[in-house]
Formats: sequence, C-alpha cells, structure tokens
Amino acid sequence: MNRFAALDKTPQARGLRLTQTHVLLVIVAGLAFVPLVVTDSFTLHSIIMILFFAYMATSWNLVCGYVGQLSLGHAMFNGVGGYVSVLMFTQLGLSPWLGMLFGGLLAMVLAVLIGLPTFRLKGPYFTLTMIAFAEIVRIWVENTNDFAGIPLKGAEGLIVPNRGDDFWAFQFSGKVPYYYIILTFLALALAATAWMERSKLGFCLKAIRGDRDAAEALGVNPTRYTSIAFALSAFMTAIGGSFYAQFFRYINPERSMGLELSIDMAVMAIIGGQGTVLGPLLGAAILTPIAELARGAFGGGLLGLHLVVYGFALMACVLYFPKGAIDPLRKIFRKIAGGGAK
Amino acid sequence: MSEEILRVEGLSKWFGGLQAVKDVSFSMHRGEILGLIGPNGAGKTTAFNMIAGFLKPSAGSVHFAGRDMTGRKPWDVCKAGVARTFQLSKPFGDMTVIDNLMVGGFARHTDRSRNRDRALEVADFLGLGPLVETEAQNLTAFDRRRLELARALCTEPELLLMDEVVAGATPSEAEEMVKLVRKVRDRGVSILIVEHVMKVIMSLSDRVIVFDHGELIAEGEPAAVVSRPEVLKAYFGENHDIPGA
Repeated sequence: MNRFAALDKTPQARGLRLTQTHVLLVIVAGLAFVPLVVTDSFTLHSIIMILFFAYMATSWNLVCGYVGQLSLGHAMFNGVGGYVSVLMFTQLGLSPWLGMLFGGLLAMVLAVLIGLPTFRLKGPYFTLTMIAFAEIVRIWVENTNDFAGIPLKGAEGLIVPNRGDDFWAFQFSGKVPYYYIILTFLALALAATAWMERSKLGFCLKAIRGDRDAAEALGVNPTRYTSIAFALSAFMTAIGGSFYAQFFRYINPERSMGLELSIDMAVMAIIGGQGTVLGPLLGAAILTPIAELARGAFGGGLLGLHLVVYGFALMACVLYFPKGAIDPLRKIFRKIAGGGAK
Repeated sequence: MSEEILRVEGLSKWFGGLQAVKDVSFSMHRGEILGLIGPNGAGKTTAFNMIAGFLKPSAGSVHFAGRDMTGRKPWDVCKAGVARTFQLSKPFGDMTVIDNLMVGGFARHTDRSRNRDRALEVADFLGLGPLVETEAQNLTAFDRRRLELARALCTEPELLLMDEVVAGATPSEAEEMVKLVRKVRDRGVSILIVEHVMKVIMSLSDRVIVFDHGELIAEGEPAAVVSRPEVLKAYFGENHDIPGA
C-alpha cells in the first residue's frame, strides 16, 4: 500500500495543478457545440443570457471577489460601455467593435477616479458609496436629453438603427453569431481570471482581502493593486454593456445601469463562489434560468419575483455553502481526480 | 559589524497633546540584534511603527542603510529591505501557508515559480515544511507566529523588526522562537526586537535600549543595563528593593 501511495503523489499533484485549466477548456469546448444541438431560438436566447450574466459576474468577481469588497455599482460601467458604443455608432458611424473599446477605456478612467477616494472605505461603506455613484450616473442620464450636443435621450433610451446582417455594425439576423461572441468574451474573461489568480496581482489582492496591514508590510500598496483590478473589471463590464446594447439593439438607463443589474452580477458571483475562477459561471447557470422561469411562469403579474428567488438562494448559500456552490463540486472533483490518478 | 544599518534621530510623536515618543535617537549595526524594552506605555510600539512606516513621525528622521526613510509608506519601507512582524500575528487566513509566503516573495520578484521555490526553502528553514499546503487559519498560535516570521523573511529583508515575538507562548515555544530568531540572524539579517519577556531579551540581544515615558533612558549590554537604577525605577517604581542588594 505504501509503495502505491508514494507513487501516486506526483501525478496527483500534477493533475491537481492542471485541473482548473482542464475544466475550463472542457466547459468552453462543450459550450461551443451548443448551437449545433439547440436550434430553438428562445432556448438559444436564454442560453445567451446565461453566458452574458456569467461574463458579467466573472467581470465583477475579478476585483470584488478577490479583494472582498462588495460593489453594487458595477451596472454603471455596463451603462457606460453600452452608451459609448451606441452613441459612437449613431453619431460618428464608428463600428461598435471599436466603440466598445472606447467605452471600456472610459469605464476604466471612471473606475480609477471613483476608486481612489473610496478604496479606503470598508464593508458597507464601500458598498453604499458605489451604489450612490451608480445611481448618480443613472439619474443624470435619465434626466439628460442632450449633453454638450450628445443626444443621451434621457429615460427614453437609445435605439440601435437596424443595419441587417453586418459584422462591422455588430448586427446579425440570427442568434448564433451572438452566441459565439459572448462565449468568446466569457472564455477570455475566465482565462484572464485564471491568469490573474496565479500572478502577482492575484496574490496581492488576496493578501489585501486577508489582512490589509500585513499586506502593506509585505510590500503591497493596496490602493495601487485594487485600482488596477478595479479598472480591469470596469473595462470588462463595459465590454459586456456594449454586447448587451447590440444584442437587444436598445438600451435605457433603468435596464443598463440600474441597481438591479448590479445586484444580479454580485449575487450570481457570490452564490456561485466569489474569489474562484468558475464560481460566477456556476452562479449564473443556476440563477439565470430560475429568474427566467419565474418571469415566464408569472408573467407580468408578479414583477420582481425573481428577486425573491435570489433572496432564498442567497440565504441557502450562506447557510450551506458559504464559499459558494462551487465548493462542494470542487470537493467531489478532487475526489474523482485523486481516484483517477491511481 | 561596524556598518550602520539603521539610524534614528530625534524621533518624536505626538497624539494630540500627548507626546508618546520624545526625541529618541539610536542606531544599529549590521548583523546586530537590538532589544527594545520598557514598561507598558513607554512608546516602544509607537517608535517601532514609525520605523516600519505605519505611523508618520511628528519630528525626527529614520535612515536605513544611509537612505532617508522618514515618513515613507510601509510598502516602500518593505521594498527598501525592512520587514516587520506584528504583535498579534496577521495571517492571510484563507490562503495556504505557501501562498502566504509567496506574497512576501512577490515584493521583490514577479516570477511565480521562483517565489514558490524560495518560499518552500524558507518554510523548511523555519520548520513549516510539512504545513505548506495547510490553510493559515488552521494553524496553531505558535505556527502562525512562525508563519509571520517566514513571510517577513520571504521579502528578503536586511533588517527585521519584530514586535513581541513570544507573547502568549509557552516556555518551550519561547525557547524555540529564540532559536529561530538566532537562525535568522545567522543568515545575515539584523534584528530589532520589541519584547516584554526579560529572559528572551537577555538571551537574544547583543545590546538593549530602554524606553520609559517615551524617552530613551538607557542603552548598552543587556546584563549591565537591567541593573542600572533608572531602569529598575522605570520597571518597579521609586521605592523598590533589589533582592540581594
């Protein structure tokens, strides 16, 4: 027995190190085949929404999950991304593919400007400040028809003019192209998280979450590293905002920068497992269908019922899986991986 | 031995109307273990925190290896080659021991595998080898202290500031900690140590400085300093009887 145990050690350790990357590749590869099987437009639409929320929760997780700061203002970056790419398209005729990069950059600048004075705040104070900033932006857009010649159109929202099937206009007649675009975004976001987790940035963020004073004593400048991560997260969230705008071809302040979206992102990441690579994806896969089903089953009769569902899911999660729904899966997987090495 | 690694001049700190540290000056040589002692409230930790960059001095200066570090931030102080431990150990609880140590390594190098190798080496050096994959929150109090010391060493310091290394430790643990600190010094690290436990200070320090009411009242060889009347007065009050005197 002992002989075997000694032999097992190396491959098992190596297997564990590669596990996460392998799981990631398998999931993405598996998802790539979905449109070949699912031809029903409504189902595909729903799966696109799951991937979209998985992407958004992953972007949120990049900073909040690792630093342990609860931001409920991330919808603001989603809104910035959507508005910038749509306005650049309608006003300047710039392709949304380029416009979304500008949206991302503006979101980054905004994140750093907001972050510098607020990162010192801890716990609920940070959360409240983020809500306040996001609401200020939303209310401002909602009540501004025209800002320095830019037609924001207030609460009415912006419509993306139809250009038919046009790649450069980021418009497609079917759902399948959107599916592959959001899948690519999600794969990149997951890869970025996996890379970050192993890099200096990831270690610094986890150290700040663990103990700020100790992190500082070990050469970590908390403001600097949180700002970098916050800017990255804002950029990714804004890109998601552009996708959302192109997918629905309509955005308004309520939907694309409202508090509800911020809550969606945070709750999905927390329930799935914040501070892990695959947790937010799992959270979105659990919660988006529940929300969709609740909406479908009760129609317009019980608006906001999915929020009640979120509440129960969150409570169950905090009670039974405080590290997120990913935690029990991880343990099972480790057992299988351990058994497989023998 | 004669090269100066730390020079503190005229260091003072006011908290409102209270002056916690009054015009303190001292210096340290490379490779030395300097003990900083004094009764409760003497300003030891305040001085310590000013050197480590956690408090800004109200007046005075701190030079490390000839460089002015006065009022620099903790992370800059760390990068300059000064590491510190905390009185209450502050592990990154949900990270493994090895990950805790690697944070220290990243202060100097961005190469992950290099930091990992070095962290493993330091873990072995301080007897944490078998625990590297354990989450820090599951460590015993003494192993946390060990972790704290190991993490500081991973930043490759030239000067190590240690705050109360054996507080709450059993006598045998205290003895082991003394051995570890000596081992660290033998690697060429100079050590400034704040400590309450006299036995530890006496056996570890090459030299001690004594604080009382924010002032530096005595300096010299451990055995000589603790028998000086001003030191005894600071510790035991005005009308003390020295046993055997």
